Amino acid sequence: MKRWLKLAAGAAAITLATAGCAGSSGTDAGSASSSAPAALSGTVTVWLMTGSAPTKLTDALNKEFETAHPGVKVNYEIQQWDGIQQKLTTALAGNTPPDVIEIGNTQTPYFASTGVLTDLTDAKADFNGAQWLKGLAASADFDGKTYGVPFYAANREVIYRKDMFEQAGITKAPTSNDEWIDAIGKLKTKFGSDPDFQALYMPGQNWYSLLSFIWDNGGDIAQANGKSFKSTLDSAGAKAGLEFYKKLVDTSATKAPKDADESKPQQATVYGAGKVAMMIGLPWELDTAVKTDASLKDKTGAFAIPSKTAGQSAPVFLGGSNLAIPGNSKNAAAAKEYIKLLSSAKYQAQLAAAGVVPGTSTDTSGLDSSPLGSVMAKASVNGKAVPASAKWGDVESGQNPIKDMLTAYLTGKKTLDQATADANAALDKLIGG
Amino acid sequence: MTATQNVSMPAGATPPASARPTPLRTRRRGRFGDRLLPYLLLLPALVAILVLLAWPLIQVLVISFRKLDLGELVRGKLIWVGFDNYSQTLADPEFWTITVRTLIFTTAVVAATILFGLLLAVLMRHLNPAIRILVQVTLVLAWATPVIATTTVFQWMFDQQYGILNKTLDRLGFHSFIGFSWFSTGPSTLTVIGILIVWQAVPFVTFTLYAGLIGVPREQYEAAGIDGASPWQTFRAVSWPAVRPIMTMVTFLSVLWDFNAFAQIWAMREGGPDGGSTTLAVVLYLKGIAGSHFGVSAAIATLMLILLALITGRYIQLLVRTKEGDLS
Amino acid sequence: MKKSLSQRVVLSVVGVLVALVIVFPTYWMFVTSLKTPGEILSPKYDLIPFSATFENFASALSKENFAVYLTNSLIVTLGAVLCALIAGTLAAIALSRLRFLGRKGFLVLIMVAQLAPVATLFIPLFLLMRDAGLINTLPGLMLIYFATTLPFTVWMLYGFVNGIPYDLEEAAMIDGCSQLGAFRRVTLPLLGPGLVTTSVFSFITAWNEFLFAVVLMKGDKQTLPVWLASFRTAFGTDWGGVMAGSVIYAIPALVFFLIVQRKLVAGVAAGAVKG
Repeated sequence: MKRWLKLAAGAAAITLATAGCAGSSGTDAGSASSSAPAALSGTVTVWLMTGSAPTKLTDALNKEFETAHPGVKVNYEIQQWDGIQQKLTTALAGNTPPDVIEIGNTQTPYFASTGVLTDLTDAKADFNGAQWLKGLAASADFDGKTYGVPFYAANREVIYRKDMFEQAGITKAPTSNDEWIDAIGKLKTKFGSDPDFQALYMPGQNWYSLLSFIWDNGGDIAQANGKSFKSTLDSAGAKAGLEFYKKLVDTSATKAPKDADESKPQQATVYGAGKVAMMIGLPWELDTAVKTDASLKDKTGAFAIPSKTAGQSAPVFLGGSNLAIPGNSKNAAAAKEYIKLLSSAKYQAQLAAAGVVPGTSTDTSGLDSSPLGSVMAKASVNGKAVPASAKWGDVESGQNPIKDMLTAYLTGKKTLDQATADANAALDKLIGG
Repeated sequence: MTATQNVSMPAGATPPASARPTPLRTRRRGRFGDRLLPYLLLLPALVAILVLLAWPLIQVLVISFRKLDLGELVRGKLIWVGFDNYSQTLADPEFWTITVRTLIFTTAVVAATILFGLLLAVLMRHLNPAIRILVQVTLVLAWATPVIATTTVFQWMFDQQYGILNKTLDRLGFHSFIGFSWFSTGPSTLTVIGILIVWQAVPFVTFTLYAGLIGVPREQYEAAGIDGASPWQTFRAVSWPAVRPIMTMVTFLSVLWDFNAFAQIWAMREGGPDGGSTTLAVVLYLKGIAGSHFGVSAAIATLMLILLALITGRYIQLLVRTKEGDLS
Repeated sequence: MKKSLSQRVVLSVVGVLVALVIVFPTYWMFVTSLKTPGEILSPKYDLIPFSATFENFASALSKENFAVYLTNSLIVTLGAVLCALIAGTLAAIALSRLRFLGRKGFLVLIMVAQLAPVATLFIPLFLLMRDAGLINTLPGLMLIYFATTLPFTVWMLYGFVNGIPYDLEEAAMIDGCSQLGAFRRVTLPLLGPGLVTTSVFSFITAWNEFLFAVVLMKGDKQTLPVWLASFRTAFGTDWGGVMAGSVIYAIPALVFFLIVQRKLVAGVAAGAVKG
């Protein structure tokens, strides 16, 4: 009996072993050709993240696509953020991967480096290559080839209460760090008697803001070192940026936690409670705040993150997504047509109108109608991204040494030199070599 | 698990002194059907476990000797790296700190869970039905609430600025707790996480132990009462023997689950501050699902399994040996 | 043991206090689901809520496809529970009442099978499902939940069957029952508490499982965990919605518990009377 069972298990095991090891049905990162075949058929499965493109846009897009290509059916699925990493990993290894996927710009280098995406270098012109947002475009390139198409981006700005500024006697928005600190002082003088008031809500782990300060001081997180990267968190520029961050936190005496980022608690909700004069955030955070207090919409304005040099604005981190086609997609031709349509000026303009910086169009006029949006659009010209390291995914989805460095320094647990040295070593461990 | 606690004995039967069953002697020896019976009964469970659990477990072991990142997974490439994944992991000094931390954390959480579970089970036995169901309902609610909600609620309760705990302490006069951060060090963060895990783990232990307790016939308690035993003596003589085999079992399971606990730790502070609340399960996630380095994570998983097997090996030995002394 | 009135009162008070402590986080979750976003992060002391709004519940329930996800979750979970109970009981009887070659081996197998959490087996299980063509199928997901709760179920019921003296069955058989009848009339009802605990455990494990639910299922085959995840958007998390969603989420498990525990009162009572 026992032996029989063993044999059966063994047989099953061998079958499964060979099946399992075979992996997915052959992949071939074939390159794109710009002359697509005339008649497309089949289904094109599109996975976009929730909140990326407004429903109006995607409905119109899908309809136009299906009308233009009668043989193709669009299978459009909105994906949730929770678990998307696992879902993409398994989808790419599955038998029927999606044909168009959206990948965060900080994750794209990893996917590109593992060769699981279709090479799109030859088709760049189809996707408006000349108008690509520089900050995003770098993340889609790997080893001289292009594997993704910029989709959209957003960058941070200082969102502030115009009415509070007026009352505190601040006549114009700060255009330099000194003016910024000065404004904080004036706000504290005017409103400081209210124990719940915060001139600037600045959580300890808002590392995207820290990036602006580091870049503004001529530093960077890491430098290219041959094929890999070397961390430069202990450089003078990085230290200066970190010191300025601390200055902001100390001067404003913000009550935000030093060991959490801007989502824990949601800074927009705190702003919505009405006792905060400034926060560094994205334009749509105002929409969240408005849910708590509708009157904030008219009271709120924005200015670009100031630079230490008067008259300039600090470089900003461009966060966004790229579109890509899995290497073993079954309908790459249709997928390319789909992305082509999405990258066209018409839909990119709709993206701008929806409040983000379009990825394949330099026309940001759609943003001008929104006071917060227009500030963001102007600042995005000065946008930069994180090092295009294939290992950057480990930093963001795992334990971020930059966040730990911030908390340690802000709480006084480590000195400036110690905090930056430790973070430097930790980052090297993750992306170096 | 409720009103009826009596197990009335059929007339003529001797009072069951022990919880050990008398094995069935196969009456009609040699009948093929009877010899086949155990295996037929076992078959569904056996097949399911072999195919869906044992085989994947072996695959994990095999994968630990491969380099399996996203590219290799998608293309089905086989790259053998021998013991590299293991040496890489074991050479990292952080790994050992994390292992020790995991062991201490697991021990503390398991001990707390079992203790509270037992106390609650004994309490439940003595409550009147209405209150008992009330307690049971609260326990099921704690158990059944999704982890995403419970971790969030706990974070809010312990929040520096807006947490109800700090606010209440302030009201009670402990003003130093205004703006106090419960997550400033690794140990304090792990304590909050521990409370959360214990809160959600106790219901299961309580229900299981309670189920065992009510299986004890009333007569035994009455006999003890007649003999003038104190509550503690009654517990030791009557309840404890009934509950002990189950107790060892739930302890074993608690060790497994708490050692592997991940979601709560990650959701609370992502293994921080500065890696202070990182356990082996967190490392497993970081290397595996987060970083897509599945070969390395398989090696870590195997190491964790070995560690667990060492801890629980004694118990497995005991279980397999004590039953009836029969050879298999 | 007859208790005096004062003993009973003390015990009841203790019981209520204990219930209050245990229920507090759940209470807090429920209270938060009744708050507006501004009230959630408020410096006011709000142990008892000032006001209540049900809009979080309304918007949670009206989310697209809620009914579909709910149905899928119920099918997958109840199916897994049922299969685990049947396979588990059969195996437990064999292990406890019979002697055969491989018995010890199977016991060890069950233990070892539990050492690894589902997350560890993620990649191999995914590959298995893929090669068996079970991706994006309800039976596939059901199989995974069935398998992950099975070892525990077998073992738990094994312990319980062990705890039921065989003499009872023998006595019943002397009275004229068949072996199967004796089991059904005597042992099965006494197994009640064990069956309840294992089925509630299986239910909750399957009901709350997130990783495979998200990875294996797509479109309208998805289950409830996906719905719960949808409250976390790119614009931030709708915490009121998450709490309301979680309250809704926990209710079926509670209902399941109440159903099975009451049905088993009848079972145990019947078993006791019939002797």
